[in-house]
Amino acid sequence: MRRLIALTIANLKSFTRDRAALFWTLAFPVVFVILFGTIFSGGGAAYELGWVDQDGSPTSIALRQAFAANAPVELTDGTLEESKARMLSGDVDGILVVPKGLQAVIDAAKAGQHPDPVEVTIVTDPSRSNTALALQQIATGLVMAANLRLSGATPLLSVLPDSLQTNQLNSVSYFVPSILAMALMQLGIFASIPLVQQREKLILKRLNATPLPRWVLVGSNVLVRLVIAAVQTVLILGIGIALLHVQILGDPLLIAGFVVLGALTFTSIGYVIASFARTEEAANGLTSVVQFPLMFLSGIFFPLEVLPSWLKSVATFMPLTYLGDALRQTMVGGTPFVPLAADFVVLAGWLLVTLGISARYFRWQ
Amino acid sequence: MLGRAREDAVIAVDDVRKAYGAVQAVDGVSFHVAKGEIFGLLGPNGAGKTTTMEMIEGLHAPDSGEIHVLGMDVRRSATAIKSRVGVQLQTAALYPQLTVTELIELFGSFFGRRPATERLLEDLELTEKRNARTKTLSGGQQQRLSVALALVNDPEVVFLDEPTTGLDPAARQGLWAVIRRMQREDRTILMTTHYMEEAEALCDRLAIMDHGKILDSGTVDDLIGRRFRERGVHFRRSGAPEKEKLEALPAVSRVVYEEDEVVLYTSDVPATIGGLLELTGRARTEPADLMVRRASLEDVFLDLTGRALRD
Repeated sequence: MRRLIALTIANLKSFTRDRAALFWTLAFPVVFVILFGTIFSGGGAAYELGWVDQDGSPTSIALRQAFAANAPVELTDGTLEESKARMLSGDVDGILVVPKGLQAVIDAAKAGQHPDPVEVTIVTDPSRSNTALALQQIATGLVMAANLRLSGATPLLSVLPDSLQTNQLNSVSYFVPSILAMALMQLGIFASIPLVQQREKLILKRLNATPLPRWVLVGSNVLVRLVIAAVQTVLILGIGIALLHVQILGDPLLIAGFVVLGALTFTSIGYVIASFARTEEAANGLTSVVQFPLMFLSGIFFPLEVLPSWLKSVATFMPLTYLGDALRQTMVGGTPFVPLAADFVVLAGWLLVTLGISARYFRWQ
Repeated sequence: MLGRAREDAVIAVDDVRKAYGAVQAVDGVSFHVAKGEIFGLLGPNGAGKTTTMEMIEGLHAPDSGEIHVLGMDVRRSATAIKSRVGVQLQTAALYPQLTVTELIELFGSFFGRRPATERLLEDLELTEKRNARTKTLSGGQQQRLSVALALVNDPEVVFLDEPTTGLDPAARQGLWAVIRRMQREDRTILMTTHYMEEAEALCDRLAIMDHGKILDSGTVDDLIGRRFRERGVHFRRSGAPEKEKLEALPAVSRVVYEEDEVVLYTSDVPATIGGLLELTGRARTEPADLMVRRASLEDVFLDLTGRALRD
């Protein structure tokens, strides 16, 4: 046991003193999360709307308050010209114009007359169809509501927002567990490289010339991977929660369990790579060959539903599909691809099979 | 006699063979090393020295034959043997990011003991470098560190694989002193080398290996004396008398022309040189760069294999 601890500490020291390794395993996934988080949260949050009030009346101010309070928009006041300039330079997504005469029409209506309705204009960019549609709907909805209130009618129908979780997880919530899964995958399969290096440089042989049992050697390598996996998990989740406001819903023990299982499974795949790669270059090549299909065919960057069915069936063999699925389910309540128990069985199956292959083919020298 | 020697021997290797595919790397090697001896395996690269040594260390299993270390069978008691021996491999960089002290202590932990770090650092002149990362060490320092690591468990037997390869002459002398000190500390040492002068300077006995076989073994004097009773009288070839006259000189058995030297092999050096000087005196010249040499291990190797041992 003391030997296991001593070797693990030595391995961790070696790891933390190697700046390049540190960057790729710790900083890189973090950069990834921040990068993707920023890109995708831009689309998910509020719209910027230019607000042009040409009436300047109590009613137009009330309408503005209704917009600010009830819609996912941030309002920027200005004249029509100013707002158009802002929209052209991309500072606002659309412009809402409250025309002169709003108050007059309301007053007339209250006096029992039947004036022509006032037209509130919403200016959008048709080339950004999603944004345009959303802003038009927001504007229509709020104007209708204002209509009802102003005309004093009793609402007969209302919409009760209820939720049914589908795969429409917001992008950031989808990404954070996915990136954690990807980081664990890389951490595991990249275990092959130091292993092949140590064999090439005869370090494994040198250790084998001491009474150190092999299980201590393997155990220490696995422990190091688990410690790094824990650090990665804390970092990625920490950033997800603090910066990107991802809500972690699941049971921490269950999450930890899948993190450990994932790290073990992919480390075992790393040992398989090290069993067949004789040189460091071969290990690098083989690692990439394994890594890229895993990354792109495992629902890490996009849900599997968008893949053509034959690629989707490839994805059903990928262990990363199941780690990503399990982490999304346990962390953010993502739609199951398969039930959690099935994720567990597939990952554990990969672990056992790859352990068997390594036990058969791994060479110490 | 063989039976008795095996019981006394710290290392006993008997008819060991090892093939890698079609290559017979070790082909029926036998030798015994007594307690406190420095025993050398001498031969060119690829002779099978390292494979032989690594089988004794328990790193490879022999295809056939018996190996005993400290009276234990390597096949059955590898772990027990490993805890009592020290191994230095031709490995340059171990854990490049660890410091010298950390590495020594790490290796000590593998044996479940606290190594005498201070003493090892001092003995191997690494005290100044104790907190340096091992990747920053020079070749000689790394070599000394790998010897220090072979000593962390205060071993009874030390295996040194080409310990001075790649070192400059001063560093080589320094390491020789370390190896002699190990012997004074009553350790048994098995080393490989392809340097003749290293084998002559250090080894009590040695075995000359080529193509997986031991060609001959014994002390340096045995190996030379067994085949070269004569000495060589060397002098410059230009201006030397004709071959028939040289062959007629007293006690000369043969005359050999090397690149720019003539060598007269003789059983009586004074008689031969006297005759030679008389011969050249008559021609009013004298033999240039006159020198008398005993045969060397190089000559032994040449005699055994028909080729020179080069680095």
